[in-house]
Amino acid sequence: MRVTEQMRYESVANNLSQLSSRQAKAAQEAQTGVRVNLPSDDPIAAAQLARLSASQSQVTARRSAISSVRGDAELAESSLQQASDLMASAKDLAVQGRNGSLGASDRATLAQQVKDIREQLIGIANAKGAGGYLFAGSASETKPFSDTGAFSGNDDAHLVDIGNSTPSAVNASGAKAFTAAGGRDVFADLDALYTALSSNDESAIGASLDGLDRSRSQITSAQAAVGITLNKLEASDSVQSALDLQNSKSMADLGSADPAKSYSTLMQLNNALQQSISVGKSILDSAAFKQF
Amino acid sequence: MAGLTQLLNVARDALTAQSYGLNVTGQNISNASTPGYVRRVALLETQNLGSQSGGGVRAVGLDRVTNDFIERRENQATGTSSAATARDQTLASIEALFNDGGGTGLGAALSDVFASFSALAANPNDTTTRSNVLAAVGAFTDRANATGDTLAQTQIDLKQQAQDTVEQVNQRAEEIAKLDMQIAQATMQGDDASDLKDQRTQKILNMSGLINTHTFTDGSGNTVVQVAGTTIVDGQHARTLSIDLNADGSLKLLANQSGGGASEITQFLTGGKLGGIKEARDKDLFDVSQKLNALVFDVASALNTQHALGVGADGGSGRNLFDLGATSTNAARDVRVSVDVFDHPERIAAASSVFSTPGGSDNAVALSKIFDTHIAVGNSKTAAQAYGDLIGSIGSTRASSQRDVETQAAILSQVQSMHQSQSGVSLDEEMVNLTKFQNAYQAASKMIGVADQLMQTLLNTVGR
Repeated sequence: MRVTEQMRYESVANNLSQLSSRQAKAAQEAQTGVRVNLPSDDPIAAAQLARLSASQSQVTARRSAISSVRGDAELAESSLQQASDLMASAKDLAVQGRNGSLGASDRATLAQQVKDIREQLIGIANAKGAGGYLFAGSASETKPFSDTGAFSGNDDAHLVDIGNSTPSAVNASGAKAFTAAGGRDVFADLDALYTALSSNDESAIGASLDGLDRSRSQITSAQAAVGITLNKLEASDSVQSALDLQNSKSMADLGSADPAKSYSTLMQLNNALQQSISVGKSILDSAAFKQF
Repeated sequence: MAGLTQLLNVARDALTAQSYGLNVTGQNISNASTPGYVRRVALLETQNLGSQSGGGVRAVGLDRVTNDFIERRENQATGTSSAATARDQTLASIEALFNDGGGTGLGAALSDVFASFSALAANPNDTTTRSNVLAAVGAFTDRANATGDTLAQTQIDLKQQAQDTVEQVNQRAEEIAKLDMQIAQATMQGDDASDLKDQRTQKILNMSGLINTHTFTDGSGNTVVQVAGTTIVDGQHARTLSIDLNADGSLKLLANQSGGGASEITQFLTGGKLGGIKEARDKDLFDVSQKLNALVFDVASALNTQHALGVGADGGSGRNLFDLGATSTNAARDVRVSVDVFDHPERIAAASSVFSTPGGSDNAVALSKIFDTHIAVGNSKTAAQAYGDLIGSIGSTRASSQRDVETQAAILSQVQSMHQSQSGVSLDEEMVNLTKFQNAYQAASKMIGVADQLMQTLLNTVGR
């Protein structure tokens, strides 16, 4: 084959430009540690990365939702614990009041204590968390219990997607804990005890015991329900956190460069480039006419 | 009879012929790196004196060492290669637009919208959370608008480029026609017109880079130049091309008829920069725009439907989240945050009924659940899947276009080598030729000296 100067120049120029473009890419990869800089670097990985980052954002959103509702659920649980303790005290007062040796004035003192308990309980039932009144259902901006114990809230669940197949209720039901919707109207039971004590009616005091027990167990079971919710939040959070880790790992596997590999590729290309330059130089120098 | 005078004549002819050879060699050396220059070979032949031998040499002209077949191959390879390059340039800019690496792309904005609903479900009555929903929705529409606008602008730019390219084709055609005329004149005057032919070959090659070009020689010896299957230079006549738009916005290539009117030749446009622009604009870009519009439309409609079912903190319902056209056409460019909710975070419908405000979160959950719902690509994929597919298809189109550019460049460089090998100047060869003609010239001079000496000897002998 006839070889002309133009062919020599072009082949040297082509080789150099190809090598230096590959070297530039390898240098970028080694410097940034990122393998997929553009979708065309690895289309399949780029598509997966896009999906993974969407899923990652969902996981992050769920975790932050879980952490923002957990505070209120914990508050609800401890409030219900206090409420159940108060009901236990009320029952103690009833047992004391049933004692036949007590006089009307003793029972009036006990009645006053029952009244205090009732007020405290209303305070607890009207407890407020970060998301509004804890026991008001969805009417979270309105005080759910009046001073007389009348309920103006509702039994709506506060649903949040925490990663389960169906959204989970994360609030405690005030309706089920304190009102007739749960079986007993707690405040009415306290009222009955108060009335029996104030009117010095020994048999009525005895009769109120059963209602007080049931009221207390109603509050306790509401507390248990919140406990289950808290466990669910905890479990979901750890599932989401495992997903988070898995996603991050997959994204790193897909998108990141192996540092050792990219460094050695870069070195290889550097050498190839050096060699190509010196070979090119000797090709161009070797032209026969220079020897004439 | 052959005598001393004859020897002088032969030597004189030799000097003329060898210096012609030196001249041609000099021409070759000086044009060694001129693009399109085809090496010349001096044609020398013996000068006969009737039927007698013993004649000298004479230069009868030049040979331009060309090969029509290789030239046509080079034209074709140039066309295919520049089509691939033109397409790849557009694909590169589309790809950059969808590069989500920095987390600033449309995909991230879309995820943020769903994340904001998730946060809203956790805190349905928090004003900041509600404002964040509006901010995320606004960021998504901004991002979609910007992406859609850039794609539309690219489409306009590509039409402009196509027009510029067609103008260049027309200009080249005119230049080629002019050169044809000059070559015909020169040939008629008996000149060899090699330089003009070089220029014409170069112009045709140049034109091949702009549009698929085919050349052949017709019965009367004229070079016919056809682009996109249409003759635009035929001997000395040039026809012009122009660009127009079809009803659907795609490019239309027209060949103007000499008698007025134009015929469409778009379907024959297969190569050159114009071919690459056409493919990138009307196929690749169109495809990406369509998928993007469909995705934005599907997401926005699904969210609208769900949002309208819910109730805002103010008790109002039936409100849209996005203002959107009736079809997906231009959805990415036209989608906006709905006037129903714009600047009114309290109108974001977190609750599912008026009785569950302000703490109800059912609708916010339903909105965030759309993330996991097959709402895109004919209800067969989730939005994130569809977006991933879009990224994947953009990436693989670009990757295959890059490979195409490399393959075509390699083919072109091979054909160029073939062409160079045939028609290029080899300085080594010319150095040998230079020495050859120089030696012959020196020897011819010597011949004159010898003849002169003999003449002197003769004269001296006779004159004594």
